[in-house]
Amino acid sequence: MSYRSDERPHHRGGGGGRGGHRRRHNREDYNDHDRRVESPEQILKNAILKMGEVDPAQEVSRLANQIREHVPVAVSAISEGLRVGVTEQPYKIPYYAAVLRLLHDPTPPPVGDGDAAPSTSSSLGKQVLEDFWKGFQNYLDKLAWREIRLCIHFFAHLMVAQVISIESMTALLQSFAAVLDEFGVSYSRGKGAALCAAEGLMISGAVIKKSSTPEISDIINAIQTYNDSIFTSKLLVQPMISLCSDVTALENTNELLDTALTVLRTLDAADMVDSLTDFPQPYLDLPDLDPTISSPFELPSILVPPEVIELDGLATDAGEDAQVKKEDWPEYGIRLFDDTVTPSPITLAGFIVRSNLLDMIDIFEINRKECARLLLEYPKWCVPDTFKAKPGAPPSEDESAGKNWQLESTLIETILSCLFALPEPAHKSIFHIALITELCKLSPSTVGPAVGKSIRKLYGGLSEGLDVEVARRFAEWFAVHMSNFGFQWVWKEWVPDLVLSEQHPKRAFVRRALEFEIRLSYHDRIQKTLPEPMQNDLNVMSGQAPGPDFEYEDPANPHHDAAQSVVNLLRGRSKADEVLSHLDSLKDSLDTSGIHMRVDSLVRSIAVQSLLSIGSRSFSHLLNAIERYLPLLRGLASNDEAKHDILSSAAAFWKRNRQMVNIVFDKLMQYQIVDPTDVVAWTFTNVAGDRHLSGMRPLSLSAFEWDLLKGALDKANGRVMIARRKVAALRKEQDDSIARAKARDGADVGSMEVDAEVKPIKQDDVPAESPQLTTALKAFVSLTREQKAALSRTIEGFVSCLAPSPSDAHQNPYAQTVVTEDAWENRASWGADEWNTWETWGWYRHFCRMYSPYLRNYATTLGTVGFVKIEGTTTPAALLMMKTWNIATGQEA
Amino acid sequence: MANVVQSLDQPSNYKDSQTRIERQKQHELLSKSTTLYIGNLSFYTTEEQIYELFTKCASPEDGGGIKRIIMGLDRHTRTPCGFCFVEYYTHAEALASMKYVSGTKLDERIIRCDLDLGYKEGRQFGRGKSGGQVRDEHRQDYDPGRGGWGAQAQRLEIERRREVEERYADAQDGPGAVAGGGGDWKEADGGTIPGSALKRGRSPEDEGDNSRMAHRSRLDDFEAERM
Repeated sequence: MSYRSDERPHHRGGGGGRGGHRRRHNREDYNDHDRRVESPEQILKNAILKMGEVDPAQEVSRLANQIREHVPVAVSAISEGLRVGVTEQPYKIPYYAAVLRLLHDPTPPPVGDGDAAPSTSSSLGKQVLEDFWKGFQNYLDKLAWREIRLCIHFFAHLMVAQVISIESMTALLQSFAAVLDEFGVSYSRGKGAALCAAEGLMISGAVIKKSSTPEISDIINAIQTYNDSIFTSKLLVQPMISLCSDVTALENTNELLDTALTVLRTLDAADMVDSLTDFPQPYLDLPDLDPTISSPFELPSILVPPEVIELDGLATDAGEDAQVKKEDWPEYGIRLFDDTVTPSPITLAGFIVRSNLLDMIDIFEINRKECARLLLEYPKWCVPDTFKAKPGAPPSEDESAGKNWQLESTLIETILSCLFALPEPAHKSIFHIALITELCKLSPSTVGPAVGKSIRKLYGGLSEGLDVEVARRFAEWFAVHMSNFGFQWVWKEWVPDLVLSEQHPKRAFVRRALEFEIRLSYHDRIQKTLPEPMQNDLNVMSGQAPGPDFEYEDPANPHHDAAQSVVNLLRGRSKADEVLSHLDSLKDSLDTSGIHMRVDSLVRSIAVQSLLSIGSRSFSHLLNAIERYLPLLRGLASNDEAKHDILSSAAAFWKRNRQMVNIVFDKLMQYQIVDPTDVVAWTFTNVAGDRHLSGMRPLSLSAFEWDLLKGALDKANGRVMIARRKVAALRKEQDDSIARAKARDGADVGSMEVDAEVKPIKQDDVPAESPQLTTALKAFVSLTREQKAALSRTIEGFVSCLAPSPSDAHQNPYAQTVVTEDAWENRASWGADEWNTWETWGWYRHFCRMYSPYLRNYATTLGTVGFVKIEGTTTPAALLMMKTWNIATGQEA
Repeated sequence: MANVVQSLDQPSNYKDSQTRIERQKQHELLSKSTTLYIGNLSFYTTEEQIYELFTKCASPEDGGGIKRIIMGLDRHTRTPCGFCFVEYYTHAEALASMKYVSGTKLDERIIRCDLDLGYKEGRQFGRGKSGGQVRDEHRQDYDPGRGGWGAQAQRLEIERRREVEERYADAQDGPGAVAGGGGDWKEADGGTIPGSALKRGRSPEDEGDNSRMAHRSRLDDFEAERM
């Protein structure tokens, strides 16, 4: 980005007026808010934000002096600087606490003039805290949990630094613990509050414990009770699948609140003994304060405000509330290294490090490059020797005392934990992937090995039950990562695994990763990166580059001529109705020739494949072909069976390129040739038959089928979302025009401004609903109906795969058997059928947790309709299906 | 959150020298743009490769997705010349690409994304004298992914590019040459929307309406690719 303005735009002094040269320097126009001459307050704020970039320990007192010397005293600038610093740079919080402690210390005798603040006034530190509190209150009002929690870190450090009173800090933590007792508290709220209390306690517990013990146990118990109450939801989001057991602490995984509780229990048992090496406490080096001179600051008492849910009152035609509220789920982390290499999250130091890193990844999501740089610099904010010194750095004085973790492994483990969060990561997968890429670019020699080891460890986890969605993201990460680094991977080491069943998760991973790599590159290019045994194994990658497969292109095909005639019409850009009438005559001739049983299907197949064939050169060609022949496609898609045929023809045409199957299905839905429910139905019908697109055994889903289902469900949900926004926009427009009309009509302007929304509108003022709004509302109802149908069809499909009734035409005998503990222990002997079925179970789980916010809304209808076939059945498979469903829809506490 | 670090989702300082849109209006368009200009592509990169990478920033559950991709073509040879436009359905997706994809590799080249005012007819063609991108005419180095030695030697590479060349041989210009990609869902059987003949209120969808944009672009004759 060489052309990006590199002069950091601080035009200090400088003669010419700002506006004057703007025209000539228009390349800077987007940054013009940065170009303002900085005010003294701004300079001070920047100094606060930049504190510690060189040496945190030294800069604390320098910054405190700079703040004190600032005339006039700029309390709000200081507190604003600290507020931003605390909430955006969590690793600096202990040092900011030290700065504030210095500001709280009695004012040194004024130098020179007598205008300095009289000594009777409260300390500058207190004044700043008072102002800082307003910012905290603001976060509280917005329930901005991360900001609230980071402010609590700050307060907790300040309490240890003797700036804040122990009683008021304890009361603050209790206010958060109180949230956990609320009736029906949502998980997002409960988790936010629990973490605030837990992390505050970790930092301040040692001091609180000395003065008053019962409060500590009460807070810990409140968190424990809450955490126990959400036990079942953990079963659905563990990164390792265990279909047969209710264990929530599987090996190499850990849940955030679980680990917090373990840390707190351990601390409590050990009387919260101060451990100076767990996290930095620079303020402890300062002399004790005399409480008679410097009384501590009392934090005001708070009440965590309730969540406000804005209802838009939009309901489905069955009267269900269709508003989607995504809740947090328990947050699992994954361990890829042992405790000597990366911090164990059940230790205080490990928990705090991970908490800091998780916050940094979240905060700096807006700039992955800076995020990578700051993560690599993280050790300088830690207690010395928390992380191993960089190779070549001067050896530390007392290395044996430190934890000496490996920074890069810790970073990759933490980022991957975020990437693999279930049901979905907080940010798009590609953010985490790109962040790891940036880390590798900054320090290839140290990050590279950590990435390699992580890949090997995860690959090993594939045979231990790594969740199917995690495995999918793993393959995606792998492919995108390799595409950034020349596709260099040592595939050789996985050659021995070629003896495994072709549906074993390891083999599925290799196949998928290579398929994703090829999509980003070229078949031949990727094939060349493989060792010979893999190159020639068709279960590793296809022998042929992905391409179209026009069934009727072969002159030997009996319908070659018929197809050719259609292709010629399409190439010649004949009108859609001409093509349709040609197809009719084609049908008649095929009818009379009697060589084909399902003439309608055949004609559709010829038409669709011919159309896809003229659109096969590129994505744009596909769009052009579809758009030009929309009437043709609509004419073909006259009923459900026809839509099914269209999808079958498209899937057959692109059977050697599954990316294109996804794309074509997506665009067929976009252009409303087929509906999402058609795609869902097609997917489940496809897996029931013998012509399974993934070559799997009947009634099994692979990641490819999952992608098709997800594409359809997301389309259905996305449309409802658009319709909802449209209604909201039109309603607002209508309200605005009413308000304008009233204002014009001389309504009481003064009261209008204050309570325009709450003021009931008189009956005769209500204008007729605008036609646009009527249409939008109608669309909303249709789309929620379609959404419900798609979800319902998915449930039905999963039931037919995993718990078919004895009368069903297709049966998968393994659906019952793979869910038992014995079977799982015996998985080394599993063949393709067992692994296929196990994967299908995995996708069912993922469906339930992924779409839980939607399923919850429609739980009653969907549950009744979807599970009607297995109602009352007590087979292990049926029970597991129902249990999973109940957890996802919040019906199992 | 731009206090400590600057977000990567800001538009660059590029200014389309041939646009006739006022600066104020440009800011406004960029602040809700769903279109990205993608630069530094290999001449061999396919739309499907682009789709694969950019779909990772899509949010279909929020009504998004890739609407269309418009491959930048050499005006004369109708072959890809190293840039394209990716159009999403939502602004947030374009911002996500700025944050997560710009500056990473596609087809082994570091690509660059920029928020764009929106595709207009004619912009699919390069505006360099040779027909390709202007920047390739200034290039002195050998770049196999971009057709070899700058523009002077470009012709020598033509044989090698046969396959790519044929792909877009049928590329058209003029109105309707580029597919729209599919719009919002519409009620199928409703026929005429009641009251649609009446004066229409403004709705968010009206902005960036492609047909209107296409109309305007006639004025701009050769709208250009970017440096």
